[in-house]
Amino acid sequence: MENRLSYLIIILTVGLLHSCSPKNISTKYYVQNKATLDNIEQSYSKLYKQNPFIVGFTDKNFEDISLEIITDSLTYIYDFKINEKRLSDTLLKYNLNSPAITELINKMRSIRCTWVNNFDYYVETEKKSLVFLSIKPVGLSRPFSNKKYYIITYFSQKQYYNKEGKLVNNRKQRQLQKLNGEIFKRINDRVSYTVSSTYR
Amino acid sequence: MNFFLKNRWKILLPLGLFLYSIHVKGAIKTTPGNDTTATSSQEEAIKFIDDIQTLAVSDHWPNVKPALFLQNLKVNIRQPLSMYPGIGTNFCGYGALIYLLLHDDPLGYAKFMLTLYKDGKASMGRSTFEPAEIIKKTAGTLKYKGVLDIRPAEQMLYLTLADHFKGYINIFNRHFDPGDENTFWASVNYAKFNRMVRQMLNYKVNARGTDLLQPSVGNTYDYITRKMKEGIVVLYLNNRILRKKKQEKIKLGIPTHFVILLDIIKTDDQVTLIYWDYGHKTLRQLKPEFLHKIIFGITQCIKKDLIGK
Repeated sequence: MENRLSYLIIILTVGLLHSCSPKNISTKYYVQNKATLDNIEQSYSKLYKQNPFIVGFTDKNFEDISLEIITDSLTYIYDFKINEKRLSDTLLKYNLNSPAITELINKMRSIRCTWVNNFDYYVETEKKSLVFLSIKPVGLSRPFSNKKYYIITYFSQKQYYNKEGKLVNNRKQRQLQKLNGEIFKRINDRVSYTVSSTYR
Repeated sequence: MNFFLKNRWKILLPLGLFLYSIHVKGAIKTTPGNDTTATSSQEEAIKFIDDIQTLAVSDHWPNVKPALFLQNLKVNIRQPLSMYPGIGTNFCGYGALIYLLLHDDPLGYAKFMLTLYKDGKASMGRSTFEPAEIIKKTAGTLKYKGVLDIRPAEQMLYLTLADHFKGYINIFNRHFDPGDENTFWASVNYAKFNRMVRQMLNYKVNARGTDLLQPSVGNTYDYITRKMKEGIVVLYLNNRILRKKKQEKIKLGIPTHFVILLDIIKTDDQVTLIYWDYGHKTLRQLKPEFLHKIIFGITQCIKKDLIGK
C-alpha cells in the first residue's frame, strides 16, 4: 500500500512539473494568445516606423516603465511609473503618438508583456527587421530554472528551420542560428519562439 | 654647509619630486580636455584608403569581402560614433578601445586594418596580433548582430582583440568556438581594459576602480567632471541596473559594461549622462547616489604627447 502511494506521489509530481515546463507552455502560448500578441506586434511596427522607440516593464508588478526614444543624434532613456503624467508629457515632447503608445503599453501590461523592440538584421547586405516580444506568463518558470521569459520574434520574411524546427542560418548550410544568444524554434515561417532567462 | 652637502640627496630628491609633480599637474590642466590634438586626421585616413587601387580577396580572411571591408573602414573613420559592437555580444570593451584609437589616430587604424587584412597579422603599439585560424574564418559571418552583420572589418577587429588579450575573466573559456562572442570568451574585466589601452594606444591611463568595489573618489560627479577636463573618460558600469534585463529585485552588484563618457551635467537632484556605446549617443538621467552605485571604474585617457606641453 505504501509503495503504491509513493508511486502515485512520484507520478503526480512528475506530471505537475511537466505541465509547468517551458516547452509545454511555449508550444501552446502563442496559439492561445495569438490575437493579442499579433496586435501588439502590428501596433508597435506601425508606431516604430513613425518614430523609433523601445518600451518595456522593468519590475515584477508591471508598474515601472522603461522608455527609449531613438532620434538621429541621441537615444533618450527614461523611467516612469505606469500612470505618471511625465510619461505622456515626454511622448508629446518628442512628437510620439501618445494615445497609441499608451494603448500599446496597456495592452502589453494586460498579457504581462515585458519588452518590445525592433531588431535589424541583414540578408547579404539588405536590411531586414524583426520585432522582438518578451512575455512573462504566470507559471512559466519551472522549479530551479532561471528561464522565465517567453520570447517571440516576428521576422519580416520567411525563415529556415531544421527538422527539429530550430532556426538555421540558411537553406544550404543549415547551421543553428542563435539570436541574442538563444536557439529559436518555429511557430510558423515568420514567427519563432524561445524561453530565456532575460527579457531583452 | 657641511650639513647641506651630507644631506643633499635627502633634500633635493623630495624637492625635485615635488616640483616635478607640480609641473605634470599644471601641464595636464592646460591640456584642451576632450578635444586633444589627434595624431592623424580623418582626411589623411580616407585619402589612404581612396589611394588603394585594388584590394584582392585575402587568403587569411575568406569571409571578408574587400569592397565591404573598405566601406566599413571609411564608415568607422568618418563616423566613429556609428561603430557597433553588436546585439548580445560582449564586445563593448573592445568598442570603447577602438573609439579611443579612431579619435586619436584614424590613419593608424586604417594602416593597421589593411595590414591585418593582407598579411593576417599586424602590430600596434607594443602588441602584435596574429589571430587563430577559426577567428579568421569566423570574421564576416556573424549574423543577427544588427548593423555589425554588414561590418566585416569591425568583426575582424573585435574577434582579433578578444583572441589576443586575456584576463582572469577569460580563464575558463580561452579558445573561440562559434557563438563565443556572447560568452566570457569575449568579456573584458577592468584591468584588462586598461592594459589594452596602455599596450596599444598613445594614451597615458589614469584608472580608479575594480571589478568588485566602487572607486573611492569622494564625490563621484565632481571627480568625473575634473577628469573630463583633462582627457577622455571611460566608465565601467553595472549595466544590469542601468539597462535591466530581468525583473528581479535583488541584482548582482558587478560591472558589465564600458562606455565613453561624452558629457555629464548636474541639475538640482539629477545627473545627466551622455555617453557612447553600441553605435549611438545615449542620454540618461540618474540620481547622484545611483550614479555612485553603478560606477565601478573611471579611466581617464590623456594623449602622451600633451603631457608636459
